[in-house]
Amino acid sequence: MKEFHLDIPVEPPKELESLFLPIPREYVEDTYRKDEFLVLVGPQHPGSGHMRLIVRVKGDIIQEVIPDPGYVHRCVEKIAENRLYIQNIPLVERPSIMDSANFNLGYVRAIEAAMDIEVPERAKFIRTILAELCRIGTHLYDAAILAVFIGHTTGFMYPFGIRELICESLVRMTGARFTSSFIVPGGVRRDVDEKTLRWVYDATFAIEKRLKSFERIFIKNPTVIARLRDVGVLSKEEAIKFGVVGPFLRASGVEYDTRVVEPYEAYEELTWDIVTADEGDGYARFMVRVNEVSQSLSIIRQCITSMPDGSYISEQIGEVRGNFFDKFADIVLPAGEYTTLTEAARGTLLFTIVSDGESNVPYRMRIVSPGWLYLRGFMEALKGERLADLQAIYGSFGYFPPEADR
Amino acid sequence: MISTLFEIFKSNMVQIPLIQPIIDYLMQIPLINFIVALILWRPFFAVVIIPGLTVLLLYLLYIVWFERKLTARVQWRVGPLEVARPIRGAIQALADGLRYFFQEAIVHKEAHRPYFVQLPILAFIPILLPIAFIPAGNVVGIKSPYAVQLVVAFLALIPITIIAIGWASNNRFAFIGSVREALIYVSYEIPFIIAVSSMIYLYGSGDPYVAVEKQSIVPGAIMNPIAFLVFIIAMLMATSRLPFEIPEADQEIAFGPFVEYSGMLFGLVMVLAYEKLYVMALLFVILFLGGWSGFYCELLGDLNAPLWLFIKTIIVISILAIVRSMYARYRIDQAVRYSFSWLIALSIVALVIGIAVGWIV
Repeated sequence: MKEFHLDIPVEPPKELESLFLPIPREYVEDTYRKDEFLVLVGPQHPGSGHMRLIVRVKGDIIQEVIPDPGYVHRCVEKIAENRLYIQNIPLVERPSIMDSANFNLGYVRAIEAAMDIEVPERAKFIRTILAELCRIGTHLYDAAILAVFIGHTTGFMYPFGIRELICESLVRMTGARFTSSFIVPGGVRRDVDEKTLRWVYDATFAIEKRLKSFERIFIKNPTVIARLRDVGVLSKEEAIKFGVVGPFLRASGVEYDTRVVEPYEAYEELTWDIVTADEGDGYARFMVRVNEVSQSLSIIRQCITSMPDGSYISEQIGEVRGNFFDKFADIVLPAGEYTTLTEAARGTLLFTIVSDGESNVPYRMRIVSPGWLYLRGFMEALKGERLADLQAIYGSFGYFPPEADR
Repeated sequence: MISTLFEIFKSNMVQIPLIQPIIDYLMQIPLINFIVALILWRPFFAVVIIPGLTVLLLYLLYIVWFERKLTARVQWRVGPLEVARPIRGAIQALADGLRYFFQEAIVHKEAHRPYFVQLPILAFIPILLPIAFIPAGNVVGIKSPYAVQLVVAFLALIPITIIAIGWASNNRFAFIGSVREALIYVSYEIPFIIAVSSMIYLYGSGDPYVAVEKQSIVPGAIMNPIAFLVFIIAMLMATSRLPFEIPEADQEIAFGPFVEYSGMLFGLVMVLAYEKLYVMALLFVILFLGGWSGFYCELLGDLNAPLWLFIKTIIVISILAIVRSMYARYRIDQAVRYSFSWLIALSIVALVIGIAVGWIV
């Protein structure tokens, strides 16, 4: 179509200045001078999450999306500098409450690396079960958000119904539905008895059964496939270039999983596959996570059947029941910088603790959450798609602003 | 003059043997008899009582509740329950309506104030006008041999008011929603009109009486199943129900043209699609499901036909309610592509079938 250039003075709407947009005035004027306009999606929008997206559209086609994250920034890193190491455990879980065990695990492993604590086998297996339960919970949560973003309310309710089983398992194991702060340096807080493990083992089959009905109504639904297939495609090269992580990187055909590359906890002793897909579109990103759920269920079952006997906490720490703060309140890490990589549900999670060697609080704590890492890839995937695809791609990435903003 | 009017009303009253003694008694009281005669005057009865306004409101109460309850059932939930617990929350829509009524209706600064306020009310005209032309046996507002064509013509006016609402709102999302409404309008209207005209060819007339008479043995749905299918899909598109809930996709454009409405005005625009669905379902029942023909009950007299029409309409709409919990939303370009490719092709096939069957019958 032929474009006509109009050389007339343009007056961008006033609210574009009063809203403190992270874009220069010239950009707005340039947009309005062309045959384009800006749509501000969020933060108060049913399909934006806690984030503002400045979408530049031409007709129905998205030209560029500028994210304005930070709406739910909660200064987790700064608050952590004023708290004891043990008090930081509930704090680091907060950025992603669905995925609390993985965040907890990353932080605790950094402390263990600093203090050279050897974790007993049984504690490793319990931690693995917790991490995988939280992974399934997060994937189900993301699937629900994806479903409601493309208008499928049944697909929203089913995963939340299934997730109740995950929450119940976590309640029986740890005492809290999520953010249980169950993983402590040296092991876990309490031992988990045989009966509870049996219940979790049975729950995995119940989840699998219910996932079948979810598959019938949502995953194999022709309208869902029509909305997600060939939408927001990231090729293998692009995905690597933009630093996409986790299941979204694997959906573009890259076999990278921190659980395999730098194994931690019990992952080395279990048999499971890295789930990958080649298409790199929205449906592949969704399917990778769907298949990861079944892998996680299998990991949990293996953990429970081959659960070793022994102590739930390291000899170096000793019994923690009743004297929890005596054991942990005066932790002082040796001076240095300690970094761990964890495979959280949405991708690689990096925890760095910098200690000055004399204070009982971290000198600096750094969290690089997976959401923050794949935000660039998410924005690039939106280019050239239609405005209605914004929500579909958003859901296919499972972007979670509190996690990215920390 | 009053006596002339009274004579006109009295000469053309609905005969219901069941309540005839009460009517006879009331007709003896002055002034009350005038009101009773007016209510039972056939055109008034058709437009205001059944299948007109009163049952339209009843239907709105029912369908909002039923749709939510059915969706809840599919989704492992309970649905509305707390409002009137003994009847399972059946007056939930009434409670919502009352809430909307007392809520502040905000008219924002950028809106075109007169149009913004009056368009939701103006939108009722093309909804209510077709009801005057839809007959139910003897109970009919305006008798016309072109009733089917007239209903289709009035239905085509509704999207114009919605587009005007989007323009008056002066909002980015309302603008996008209006454009989507216009696109979806051109994409469902053509197959819809072709499907209806195939049935007109089949019956040889646009007169609902002829259509119902011709369906006395075989319903229109069996005589022309393709038109039946096209009509259902066009109905889903026209009333923006999933999977074609594109113009008011709440996650994408936050209810599109209606994004700025609040309070009573939002209540009015929210039920627009349901009312449109009601009118289209009435037309659907007349064209495909034998209209008002059904088991005749002596006691009900003239009320038989409207009751059967209403019951059939409610059943059709209740079946359509299930799609809301089954499908995701299509994209606008997909919907337009589908309708301009296979929906139009199907409707042309339906037209051929309609002409062929009409020639045989």
